[in-house]
Amino acid sequence: MNELINELKLKVIEALNLEGMTPEDIDENAPLFGDQGLGLDSIDVLELIVLLEKNYGIRLATPQEGKEVFKSMAVMAEYVAANRKK
Amino acid sequence: MKHVSIPSGADLGALYRQVAGDYPKFFKMDVLSKLGFLLTEMLVADETDRFQPREDRAVLVFSREGCVANDRHYAASMADFPSPALFVYTLPNIVAGEIAIRNKYAGETSAYVLEKYDEEQLWALVREAFQDRCTQSAVVAWIDCPSDTVWQADAWLVSREEILK
Repeated sequence: MNELINELKLKVIEALNLEGMTPEDIDENAPLFGDQGLGLDSIDVLELIVLLEKNYGIRLATPQEGKEVFKSMAVMAEYVAANRKK
Repeated sequence: MKHVSIPSGADLGALYRQVAGDYPKFFKMDVLSKLGFLLTEMLVADETDRFQPREDRAVLVFSREGCVANDRHYAASMADFPSPALFVYTLPNIVAGEIAIRNKYAGETSAYVLEKYDEEQLWALVREAFQDRCTQSAVVAWIDCPSDTVWQADAWLVSREEILK
């Protein structure tokens, strides 16, 4: 799981242009959205949805579903591990 | 009036770290918005009331190519997975909004796409923006970026007195 978390961190940094950030800077249990953690916004949710489909063949039906999946990097990794198609 | 410019092909990331450095959203912007953001930082950095919300400052951005550089990136992404982050910059007026949001300006924001750089037309449009009673100053920018590496980027900070004299 740690390997997948690290892989996801790298993909998120690249997809969201998180300039100057390294995987070590991201607390895997911190919230991805809101004032704490990475402070991502609604457009970032859409980018993450694209990231899951492109890299893991996972299609989220709605951005609302993403709200649960993208709670933290650790939650996201668990979801990817359980639902990936590639 | 104060004037600043950014040479074509300059390293915008390095310039951001030099003149701002506290606004990570910069890296998500298209080249048009990055240039508008940086030009405005350079114009207003030394203002004492920086970041105080204000309604008396307009943001007027002029260009010839609009956001075509980003449009091309977005069109390319459509071959695979259309990128939402690129999509949000496929309007040439977004740059004016980015400047207003960063600086808490609630005055007029406008983006004009002109056939060419026409000084007379540009300043006539600026004068029009001062016809209301509210606008006391304006960030005026000519930002023309046909690609991510080639551009003309000039901006002026002008006051009502300078424009309507």
